[in-house]
Amino acid sequence: MLVESANERTSKTLSEQSVLGGHAPRTQRTGESLPFNDRLHLEAHRWLVDEAYLLDEQDYETWMSRIAEDVHYLMPVRVTTALGAGYSTSPGMAHLDENKYSLSRRVARFATEHAWTEDPPSRLRHYITNVRTFRTENADEIIVDSAVLLFRSRGDVREAATVSAGREDLLRRTAAGWELARRTILVDESVIRMQNLAIFL
Amino acid sequence: MTDPRGVLQDVRQGMIPAHIYNDKEIFELEKERVFGRSWLFVGHESEVPEAGDYVVRRVLEDSFIISRDEHGEIRALFNMCLHRGMQVCRTEMGNASHFRCPYHGWSYRNDGRIVGLPFHKEAYGGEEGFRKKGQTLLPAPSLGIYNGLIFVSLDPDAEPLEDFLGDFKFYMDYYTKQSGDGIELRGPQRWRVKANWKIGAENFAGDMYHTPQTHTSVVEIGLFREPKAEKRKDGTTYWAGNGGGTTYKLPEGTLEDRLRYVGYPDEMIARMKEQWSQEQLDVVGKDGFMVSAASVFPNMSFVHNWPRVEEGSDEVLPFISIRQWQPISEDETEIVSWFAVDKNAPEEFKALSYKAYLMCFGSGGMFEQDDVENWVSLTSTAGGPMARRLLLNSRMGMLENGQNVVEPLTSEQYSGPGSTRIGYSEYNQRELLLRWADHLERPMEKAAQLQVGTSPAQGGSPDGTGHSPAERPGSSAVETVSVEA
Repeated sequence: MLVESANERTSKTLSEQSVLGGHAPRTQRTGESLPFNDRLHLEAHRWLVDEAYLLDEQDYETWMSRIAEDVHYLMPVRVTTALGAGYSTSPGMAHLDENKYSLSRRVARFATEHAWTEDPPSRLRHYITNVRTFRTENADEIIVDSAVLLFRSRGDVREAATVSAGREDLLRRTAAGWELARRTILVDESVIRMQNLAIFL
Repeated sequence: MTDPRGVLQDVRQGMIPAHIYNDKEIFELEKERVFGRSWLFVGHESEVPEAGDYVVRRVLEDSFIISRDEHGEIRALFNMCLHRGMQVCRTEMGNASHFRCPYHGWSYRNDGRIVGLPFHKEAYGGEEGFRKKGQTLLPAPSLGIYNGLIFVSLDPDAEPLEDFLGDFKFYMDYYTKQSGDGIELRGPQRWRVKANWKIGAENFAGDMYHTPQTHTSVVEIGLFREPKAEKRKDGTTYWAGNGGGTTYKLPEGTLEDRLRYVGYPDEMIARMKEQWSQEQLDVVGKDGFMVSAASVFPNMSFVHNWPRVEEGSDEVLPFISIRQWQPISEDETEIVSWFAVDKNAPEEFKALSYKAYLMCFGSGGMFEQDDVENWVSLTSTAGGPMARRLLLNSRMGMLENGQNVVEPLTSEQYSGPGSTRIGYSEYNQRELLLRWADHLERPMEKAAQLQVGTSPAQGGSPDGTGHSPAERPGSSAVETVSVEA
């Protein structure tokens, strides 16, 4: 399921439909996916892989420095609906519907000495694949689709948890490099099989 | 082997055999005797606003379709085809005039009545072979609604829902009746944690004591205005009817000042003043307490809190969440968590209240993250033989001789019903587990069986008339089947 086709009843994107996405940039993809040797695609792919390493290491301070001020970070709740229903996300409900401030609070919390859920920290591995890149109408903005599989292990013998999701990102070129300006995470489960979302996808 | 009688004796003394938080035999008893007859929350009327709207909810292993039929009535239908037992509805939500079983094509109206039975005459010889008339999907044995909150019980003789809730209704209104139109419910978020279901219910019922330690981080990052999380000890715990909860102490001021302090805009305050009784208003305005977390026996909880949601502002925004601790096994729980907001609240308030919820509770909530870590750890430790040697002390608030450390507030000091005390204690956790022990001790009566096709179905209906849907006057029997219209 593609992010843009998660709701066929409306032409609105999930970011547009979300409760807290009013501030989000609205840039959309144009044309076909870029060839894999296109410079923009290579830069986008490199950005995503570098980001995965930051998230694995829980280096959230560096990660935040690559997040745009007007970011919209959205992870809708998925629901099982009939084939013809035309939607597969829960109306008006998300797991995460974040702006820069709420993301910054999450990151600040991990930096305290009292965020017990990540002390001791999880062992994380973000697997990023199926990356494709699209131009937009703005020369400095691109859309990047990817698939992510997160493996999370806590303690010594506890069963590890995984989350699988598709993502659509809006990356924006700045003087300091590419920044994440919008991310829509389409998680592949209705019921999350992980004790919490004290992680980023 | 577990000796249930010994366990219950200990629990009644406020001493908790640690293994009850991870014990297969205890869990089997709970499934039968607690969840086999208690009132259990399944959803809210606002989730199915239009005729044909439905959501599918579980009561342990049993799947129920919660639908609004063509007459606007709420139904809870066991999601099992009367023919071979398939689920007739395999989605989580939608709108349908009928549910058609994919196996042999039997179909049912959204009030449960069977309407389509392919080759009824040729295969069964018509009514003489299979009494189709009057057959319905099996309704939940009991169905009750309070403030739009839909509950079912598998006990056909369950006491009326409102009697069961009793004086807890007084407190439920703070969460679910802030104006005449009540709440709208969004969600739920669902996720599974390797923790026993009782831990969350106990925590929300009365554990003010964990806040300063578990939730230090959310105060440190400025999400929570109260400078020290230990402010909790100035609040109260109350137990009323079959539920109980916790409150925060509010600063001095009028009713309006205090409701503004937790972030309610004046137009909502005006509606609360119209809606709530004098006693309900006095708990806030005169006594100075505001409800926070609460639980209703056995596995439903509420939470109300008021964090900061925007940068550079001292303003706080209140949110309400309703949740269910759905048991999966002795060491796994599915948390089903909804966001609730008053229907008449301004749109901007609704959006920011939702933001407050997402930041604090639910699958990604920052309060919740640390709670669950603790509960998973507790459950895992409770599974081994050493845990059987430990009786956890759950007697906080009581001396060895049974005397209270703090006496309940008098009716001069406090305007609400039930038994209410200031400060840390475990009265509410004990109240919850006392009810649990009473259920575990009481054997179940054998449930009646329905012989499909040979006798008409019986079932509960929310109007309390006991009529099965087929007996409803004015119902027609014609049909074109259109599933998921």
